[in-house]
Amino acid sequence: MNVLVTGATTPLGRAIVDHLLASRAVGHVLAVGQEHWGPGLPSDGARFTYERTDLTRARNVHDLLHGPARAHGIDTVLHGVLHRAVRDRGDRVHAVNVEATRLLLLGCGRHPGIRRFVLRSGAEVYALRPDEPNLLDEDHPLVFEPAAPQWLRDRVEADVLTCAQIAAGPMSIAVLRCAEILAGGIGSQLWDYLGSRVCLRPLGFDPMINVMSVEDAVAGIAAGLAAGARGVFNLPGFDTLPLSRLIAWCGRRDVPVPGPLIAPLYWLRTRTAGFAFRYDLNLRRFHLGGVLDGARARAVLGYEPRHAVVPPPGHAAAS
Amino acid sequence: MQITASTHPEAADHDFHDEGHGFDMFGLHPPTLRRTIARGGWLCDRYFRTRSCGASEIPRSGPAILVANHGGALPIDAALLCLDAGRATGRIVRPIADRFVPALPMISTWFARLGVVVGTHANVGRLLARGELIAIWPEGAAGIAKPARERYQMKEWRVGHAELALRYRAPVVPVAIVGSEEAWPVLGRITRLRRFGVPFVPVPLTPLPLPLRHYLYYGAPIALHDGLDPDAADDPGAVAQAAARVRLALANLLRDARQARAGRFV
Repeated sequence: MNVLVTGATTPLGRAIVDHLLASRAVGHVLAVGQEHWGPGLPSDGARFTYERTDLTRARNVHDLLHGPARAHGIDTVLHGVLHRAVRDRGDRVHAVNVEATRLLLLGCGRHPGIRRFVLRSGAEVYALRPDEPNLLDEDHPLVFEPAAPQWLRDRVEADVLTCAQIAAGPMSIAVLRCAEILAGGIGSQLWDYLGSRVCLRPLGFDPMINVMSVEDAVAGIAAGLAAGARGVFNLPGFDTLPLSRLIAWCGRRDVPVPGPLIAPLYWLRTRTAGFAFRYDLNLRRFHLGGVLDGARARAVLGYEPRHAVVPPPGHAAAS
Repeated sequence: MQITASTHPEAADHDFHDEGHGFDMFGLHPPTLRRTIARGGWLCDRYFRTRSCGASEIPRSGPAILVANHGGALPIDAALLCLDAGRATGRIVRPIADRFVPALPMISTWFARLGVVVGTHANVGRLLARGELIAIWPEGAAGIAKPARERYQMKEWRVGHAELALRYRAPVVPVAIVGSEEAWPVLGRITRLRRFGVPFVPVPLTPLPLPLRHYLYYGAPIALHDGLDPDAADDPGAVAQAAARVRLALANLLRDARQARAGRFV
């Protein structure tokens, strides 16, 4: 298996590249990112190549797939590019989240050597409503609200775009919906939320939250790459606990506040302190919770969460 | 037959599936449940002087469904049933709540810690698949706040419990609760106040429930799945027939229980 990994410069992307290079089943890893790789190439340089390119341009995607990817015999693609900064919006962000996915999907579908495409999606695409189960399986409704923030709409669009192609051609496609990975630099809203010494929680609500470690995310994604199964798979994390416990576990102060006051307070905080957490993105989750049902991933991919999350240290609030 | 006081003071944790932090995935927290039972036990024993009969019919292990009638201004009958069945069997009873409950501040969190689960197929299916004991009131919210003249008349009878019993091959134990439908007479319902998705607000005649003695009569378990395969759960006719069988069994049990009681207050 020779793998192309997009979004390879993120902490998760780097961890996946390291994991793949450590596996004997993987021949070559072609990492793709928009930034410089930075200091320190993976130790197995002969099996690793880094390409810096912008996947929002059709020409670049074509040249990548028919240039380096073909040269290295790439047969599997892991697409994990999602714009992380929640404050950014507009056409450019949409292009990174959705257009890049579409172009890569189409390109891979026409490529003679690529047989497997895996999209890393997230649990945030699921709609949370009081009349829906706490246990979110793969058939759970998605967020299709026009008023939802672009950060969320883009993620749902990229997910649905990929799902629509699952049965369309000979290429085997899988969508992996990961629980929230509680780590820095990955775009985790909870990480930003817990970065503050005082965490405001809706008064009267203490929902169950499922969080995932980077190790489990890497293991789940690697299982998704290795398996040939098509379809959508939920990858839950190891830790499921109430929000108040999560806050306490991270050594933060839990302050219950009447729900309607939280949004303006966090908005004010974002304006003054550059805080990245957005309450409107998390409002439903902070009231209703929701835990991914990983039964399908366990049965088909053999994935089982095993690694507990390491509580975030006292990192800076603005990440 | 009268149930003795707490036969299983320690709520059994063998039904508890810890997700690693002392809670299950639905939010059940056994220490909170134990504390609530310890503090609220007097309501069952002293105030309502609950008597139960036939609790030995409840399976001691494996999936099972308790199906009961519903009444009263608030679901006190549900609390009494869970407490009584839990004490008698040592199992944690998972009451199934209506779908508006998760939107209620404070109550949603407290209920979750006590083991209440919202009644969706995915949630209830998961509980039965891992062999838990659940309690369902097929009359739903319509059963709550029945007018006094309609007491012990079963309202709209939902069939989800029968479908789940067939699919997960779980025995159904009918439970007749006598006393709850008279203890807190309801004058009417306010349907315009739809805060937090609550379908109505009951207007009780008295500020507190009357101290009527409550009786819980457990019927023999009904194996709805006998002679049927799990696919029968997809057959609307088979499900309706199974649900009607449970309803009839409960109606008969309820009639016998009302005839057997000595009086409302004694």
